[in-house]
Amino acid sequence: MKRYNDFFGSFGGRYVAEMLRAPLDDLQEAFLQAAADPAFTRELEETLRDFAGRPTPLLKAENATRELGGASIYIKLEGLANTGAHKINNAVGQAMLARRMGKTRIIAETGAGQHGVATAAVCARLGIPCRVYMGEVDMRRQRPNVFWMERYGAEVVSVTTGSATLKDAVNEALRDWAASFPTTHYLLGSALGPSPYPDMVREFQSVIGRELALQLREKGVDCAALVACVGGGSNAIGFFSAFLESDSPVLIGVEAGGRGSGPGQHAARMNGRGRAGIVQGYKSLFLADSDGQLLSTHSISAGLDYPGIGPQLAHLGEEGRIKFTTASDSEALDAVQFFARTEGLVFALESAHAAAEVMRIARDYPREKSLVVNMSGRGDKDLFILARALDPDRWTAFLREEAAR
Amino acid sequence: MSAPSRIMAHMVAWYPDGVSSLEVARGLADGGCAYIELQFPFSDPTADGPDIQRACSAALEAGFTVDAGFECAEAIRRFVTVPLFIMSYANLVFTRGMERFLTDARACGARGVIVPDLPPDYDEGLFRTAAKLGLAAVPVLSPSMREGRLSRVGTLETEYLYVTLRTGTTGSFTEIDSSGLEFLSRVARMDHGGKAKVLGGFGVSTREQVQAVSPHVHAVVVGSALVRLVAAGGDVASAVREMVRKLSGAQETVGA
Repeated sequence: MKRYNDFFGSFGGRYVAEMLRAPLDDLQEAFLQAAADPAFTRELEETLRDFAGRPTPLLKAENATRELGGASIYIKLEGLANTGAHKINNAVGQAMLARRMGKTRIIAETGAGQHGVATAAVCARLGIPCRVYMGEVDMRRQRPNVFWMERYGAEVVSVTTGSATLKDAVNEALRDWAASFPTTHYLLGSALGPSPYPDMVREFQSVIGRELALQLREKGVDCAALVACVGGGSNAIGFFSAFLESDSPVLIGVEAGGRGSGPGQHAARMNGRGRAGIVQGYKSLFLADSDGQLLSTHSISAGLDYPGIGPQLAHLGEEGRIKFTTASDSEALDAVQFFARTEGLVFALESAHAAAEVMRIARDYPREKSLVVNMSGRGDKDLFILARALDPDRWTAFLREEAAR
Repeated sequence: MSAPSRIMAHMVAWYPDGVSSLEVARGLADGGCAYIELQFPFSDPTADGPDIQRACSAALEAGFTVDAGFECAEAIRRFVTVPLFIMSYANLVFTRGMERFLTDARACGARGVIVPDLPPDYDEGLFRTAAKLGLAAVPVLSPSMREGRLSRVGTLETEYLYVTLRTGTTGSFTEIDSSGLEFLSRVARMDHGGKAKVLGGFGVSTREQVQAVSPHVHAVVVGSALVRLVAAGGDVASAVREMVRKLSGAQETVGA
């Protein structure tokens, strides 16, 4: 696949007000130059190895396989990367690019906080001041990540406009960048936004797919399907990247089914629920009303409740290369518990949506066939949500005691 | 005494509500504005600062729809003779369909449309379709534009050009310094022979700013400053009328 596509079928593009045109042109050029520079890619690989902890393992989940009674289950442990999710891959790449471009400040948006934490950590290492925009609702849901970003020295700015979640954080970061671009790099965390972001984020996340292809070969795994959760879609596009141009394996993207199919109850944009639209600089499918106003969304996971989907994923979905399905809040919670009990792994609530799909389809395949799920993040950050959902009485009592100390 | 400066007065349709926004338009017209820029609120207005964002949210809560927006424009056109431009974001235009949106805009009496996130060459046919329908599609130019880009937009030979005097979002105060005026002269050089009518603004709220910009443009755009008056409530029609009079410099001659 080409490094720079701009459009994927009819989706993608650079639909931005004129003032952001020049900074995006510059970014495109700098990215393509860096990607072709062996010195840059060497330093990137070293940093991913020594700082991010790559390669991440591919684990054969034998207990889960036995209990589910179908396909062999493998788990790509992206959550073992430093800062707890795949987000570090893109954060390292873009921060190095920002430094190369001579930028002296980095801004980012974050939903669940994993991208914010990754960006803040990389900025700490590179000594670049960092500001992270985060919806007020998400700050409440993912307080531990706010705490960690601040420890890394980042300034976390609460966004109270709109739904006070990820999309509003993106709006605020775009507004900041419209005035600050001469000195500032906007380190966007999802494979969406105006070009070159969808291409650039895919390229930086494609390390997941390259490693996976190698690991599958080394282990001799007969892989029937790859399964990833899809919010904006950066883990999915990275995980799938090495397989997009072949017919197999089956690629399955799992969106947030939330608590129902009504408007505002979920964040599933594919399979006819989203409308073609142009928002936040790119054309894709969005949850919007008949006028094009964005609708509110819901998911138990702060990383999946975004109303748009990365343009390349939307295109691959319409073409049928990627199948899309949903998992509900409660299915995701069940999956977290199942893999904690059977494999000693706590999936992030986002990634647990993919795990839930694997649990659902495992029996459709024989043992010789394998399903690989991307544990794009680990669930440490979800302690407060999980404890409230799974053990409310003792958790509340504990919080009361702590508050009284 | 010199002639009053031409003002393009911005307002948000259905802010604070459907009926009151007509009063705002009346006030702007009574104040002597030369143009009305009517913004159709979008849920995610990324080019706007806090004042217009809040106004857009409030208008959506008050029940704004795109249909209601065109009705609002049509109602304004019944008592306002100055040209009216509809400003909005790409998604409202794209969702309705380019041809339909522009046909409706023309039918309600709009002179043209301004859609900042549909720039030339990512415009979904905006400029071509508008030209076909006899509407003015107005490109929005910014000081960060490279020469090549600026001259490419210039080749469209549009009747109007909308120039932001600085980068960033709407609302915060713009110091009218050499960089903004320099950009206006770059635009003038690009616009061979000064055929296009230049609408210049962003962060203009005082008579001094208007006086500094006015000689270099066809009209000065005033947005957030007026929206803030509407937000303050009370007799908004009189408030915006007085501000337009003051900013245009017509206050003394007309009498407040």
